[in-house]
Amino acid sequence: MGARVRAIDTDAHHQLRGIADLKPYLSRHDWQRLEEFGMPRNSNLYQASGGFRGARADCFGAGDDVDPRSRIALFQEKLLDGCGVDFAILQGEYTPAVLALADLDFSAALCRATNDWTLAEWVGRDPRFRLALTVPIQDPVLAVREIERLGDHPAVVAVYAVCGSPRLYGQRHYDPVFAACVKHGLALALHFSNEGIGMNPAPTAGGHPSYYAEQYLVRPQFYQAHLSSFLFEGTFEKFPQLRVAFLESGFGWVPAFRWRADATWRSLRAQTPWVKRPPSEYMREHIRFATQPFEDPEPAGALTAVLDGMDAEQTLMFSSDFPHWDFDPPDAIVRRLPESLRQRVLVETALETYPKLPR
Amino acid sequence: MSVGEASGGGRTPHPVCAAAELPPGRRRIVTIEGKSIGVFNVGGRYFALRNRCPHRGAPLCEGQVVDLVTAPAPYAWENERFGEIIRCPWHSWEFDLTTGRSVCHPDSIRTKSYPAGVAAPTEHDRAEAYEAAERGGVVVVWV
Repeated sequence: MGARVRAIDTDAHHQLRGIADLKPYLSRHDWQRLEEFGMPRNSNLYQASGGFRGARADCFGAGDDVDPRSRIALFQEKLLDGCGVDFAILQGEYTPAVLALADLDFSAALCRATNDWTLAEWVGRDPRFRLALTVPIQDPVLAVREIERLGDHPAVVAVYAVCGSPRLYGQRHYDPVFAACVKHGLALALHFSNEGIGMNPAPTAGGHPSYYAEQYLVRPQFYQAHLSSFLFEGTFEKFPQLRVAFLESGFGWVPAFRWRADATWRSLRAQTPWVKRPPSEYMREHIRFATQPFEDPEPAGALTAVLDGMDAEQTLMFSSDFPHWDFDPPDAIVRRLPESLRQRVLVETALETYPKLPR
Repeated sequence: MSVGEASGGGRTPHPVCAAAELPPGRRRIVTIEGKSIGVFNVGGRYFALRNRCPHRGAPLCEGQVVDLVTAPAPYAWENERFGEIIRCPWHSWEFDLTTGRSVCHPDSIRTKSYPAGVAAPTEHDRAEAYEAAERGGVVVVWV
């Protein structure tokens, strides 16, 4: 099947139309609570985003009050049919807020309900959708319970985690989650969000940036912190089959990080001797980078150096971020890539990263 | 580079000191044929390395002599090959005292020569090692 697939979008964001969507999937008790207090909202430290309310302004044709993320027909028209995307992996727009809840059982209830709703109302209505499972990763016991419940659903291809977290993900606290991912053939999909809110530390070591633009710019460091943790805690020695998708991390920084990681290991290896190989080798085997937002390195030729330096043939895969404001369409992205990388980026690397995608 | 091997290989033996002056766990740094060389007694066996780190030219033999630290699994430190590793005083690169090989990249080949004016493609990874042994109560290095 791989040869016939035109493009796999590893990062699209859907949303509830309203809380009523979840009523069939909640206990009476949890529904009454949701009805009274509403959905938790994604923290917005800035009351600002890009585009119009964070989405493509050209996607509000149904009116300002209708969130384009909630319109399955829009995804079909503009992404799946319009862009030739044959599979789109959904990372719920609602997920970060749900994972920021300190009330773990309510968080778990909302995870279950949103997963069930997505499988019924999105995947059930269009088999081109796949789901990165929302799990209460702030509590690995409850997270594993949700992975056990739905991990074998054929449309569930990943577990969704956000960078904002009380702990770095390489720490052993999370090992049961990764064991469950491997057991069910799921990738871990890591995406920014929740940095500096709720129970989580500030988004930068120097505190909170003042503006959304700063937070947007420094996102690579969120991923670098978790990546460093994965590498030096030995996550990939413990879970040799685990693949981690970095979504919206950018990728221009990857070659420099690899150099620095290898140099660090060479000097300090003895402190974490279970790191048996240069960190760049673990990165090449286990970390996959999504293209969006595609960086346009300068001068001419710089992109080639970046692609070489990150082993892009093995590590880079397409994402659109539909319908967010900084959306990238597949045709415009592959035009920037050498011919030899196009099929790898559009299809093949994603198939290798998400073993449950059909091939 | 074991003591038992027939020494030499075309190299010249140089006495370093009386064996009693270099007890186990100690080192001496001497100059032979204009080269600074560290001679080590590791549990009664003798080893010698050029006192120059292939990385940045540090006095390698002035670094800490340490064990090889390994781990069969994450969070399970184990020390083996006690006192057989030298850690460069600059940047902490580790070398096997007994062979000069890099601990991180034991199989990389030391680049010995390259066309004039062309930079070596990679850092040299191996410290230059010499044979050393005790002969008749004297520590000898073949250089």
